[in-house]
Amino acid sequence: MTVAQVAAPARRPARRAGGFGLALVAPTVLLLLLVQAYPLVEGLRLSFTQTALARPRAGSYVGLDNYAELLADPRLGKILWVTLVYTVASVLGSLVLGLVAAMVMNVGIRGRGLLRAILTVPWAAPGVATALVFIWMLDSQYGITNWALTRLPFVDSYQRWLNDPALAMPAVVAVTIWKVFPFAAIALLAALQAIPGELYEAAKVDRATALNRFRQVTMPGIAPTVLTLALFLTIWSFRRFELIWLLTGGGPVDATNTLMIDLYRESFRNRQLGYGSAIGVVGLVLSVAAAVVYFVVSRRLGRRYGGAG
Amino acid sequence: MTAVVTTPAAPESVRPGGLVARLASRLAKSVGILALCVVCVFPVYWMLVTATLPTADLFDRTPELLPRPGDLAVFGDLVSGTPMLRWLANSTIIALGTTVISVAFGVTCGYALSRTRFHGRGVLGFALFVTQMLPEALLVVPLYAVFAALGLLNDLGGLVIVNAAFVVPIIAWMIKGAVDGVPAEIEEAARVDGCPRLATLRFVVLPVIKPSVAAAAVLAFFSAWNEYLFAATFATADAVKPTSVGLTTFIGEFATPMNVVMAGSLLYALPAVVFFMLLQRHVVSGLGAGAVKG
Repeated sequence: MTVAQVAAPARRPARRAGGFGLALVAPTVLLLLLVQAYPLVEGLRLSFTQTALARPRAGSYVGLDNYAELLADPRLGKILWVTLVYTVASVLGSLVLGLVAAMVMNVGIRGRGLLRAILTVPWAAPGVATALVFIWMLDSQYGITNWALTRLPFVDSYQRWLNDPALAMPAVVAVTIWKVFPFAAIALLAALQAIPGELYEAAKVDRATALNRFRQVTMPGIAPTVLTLALFLTIWSFRRFELIWLLTGGGPVDATNTLMIDLYRESFRNRQLGYGSAIGVVGLVLSVAAAVVYFVVSRRLGRRYGGAG
Repeated sequence: MTAVVTTPAAPESVRPGGLVARLASRLAKSVGILALCVVCVFPVYWMLVTATLPTADLFDRTPELLPRPGDLAVFGDLVSGTPMLRWLANSTIIALGTTVISVAFGVTCGYALSRTRFHGRGVLGFALFVTQMLPEALLVVPLYAVFAALGLLNDLGGLVIVNAAFVVPIIAWMIKGAVDGVPAEIEEAARVDGCPRLATLRFVVLPVIKPSVAAAAVLAFFSAWNEYLFAATFATADAVKPTSVGLTTFIGEFATPMNVVMAGSLLYALPAVVFFMLLQRHVVSGLGAGAVKG
């Protein structure tokens, strides 16, 4: 990730030609208005209505009823908790595994290009194909996972990974991390390589321990990247749908029922677009809050490490 | 010899202990790299292994770990027994349409963000970033209502529009970054020679940023190819289902054996994996640049 080369400002913008620029961006703006902005407003409106899936244009206004119902729903606490657990676990897991992978790769080995290409595989594989192969690999009877684990001396029973309320979340998080950590690894590798080697030399001369070198040289060097990654991984985890939906559908017994899954179930299974939209608005507020936290933290960190953030 | 060993300033590698430590760390890193590769590739490898198994061997208590090359009958079953070819055709149409629209829009928009001044430029740049944060699952509900009103449900064109809208912001940022790196002098020279501005973009700037455009096209194509949520919600009729939706009809259904399902998944995943591997440097760094610049 080219964190270091943050936007070189447009060099010498050609004469003031407002009309030309506007003409160039107009198609994109129209597309975004139609597919992003308008639905956003429409979603907000729907959240104040009772609207059936079968007749999406014929809803009736019910004021704040959907929100009242949502807040009174005893399941809301569990949904938020599941969302939090899923997000934190998959973000932390991807960051830690990504950092380990980046540090392993950050040595003078030949074929790093090939290694980077191999790391692209999980990230490039379509979510549907990923879900299907993991459903097969995690199959309780014929899956390779159970077979491989029972080869180990201390494991002797097959697990129903995706059907056991206690195991479904760890399994879904593991699949998510598999899919996401390579992105973190490649970004962190770029950040590691941008750290000047002299800093490590100097730390060595000062006889700093490996831990101290990591804390004093590596951490400040990669902090901006880690922060940016953390934000994007959080947003992606928060809004992730297809992997969870296809692996477990939110089950068993709502063990993996995140906000996005519940929103979809309410809208398209229970066929209540209004109630579903209210859940969506709550989700939107939470993701905006995450972005605000990011900007505050990155500004602080930027001040502490005096640089990009 | 001892003099070298005891010299305080000697590099670590010269000390015998240091050498062993270095070898050990080398070994650890090699093992680590090997593990990394296995973890990344295994699920795709397992699709291949399963796809080459005869149906009768799928339920062996001891799975076979190696593929059986030459036993490709299952791909025949896939083509004759499932609508796989139609799914792939639908996916291709959606992905090509998305690529054309989003690259055309993204290039003009990215160029304008880099080289022109217009009212609302800052707002647009920010809006492009914000779209990255809107959860698709949130927009899918109101979009369903909008598309129902416009008659765009069960329509390949409708899916092209949605996919393009979600990938255009990323492409615009990638292209803006690329155009930022092109010296403005080239364009000025062309303009002095009387070249119209749109022609300058087409014939002067575009050739220079070709690698970024190619990366953007690959990203657009496969973001549409891989997309599931909107397709699953909007394309419910068999005639318009793309591969992502078609393959999921196998979940929880026992008529189609797993070797056929894995063969389909492999055929579906392979183009995306291969293209991203070839172009990962451009795509990933472009993505990162877009993300960070926001």
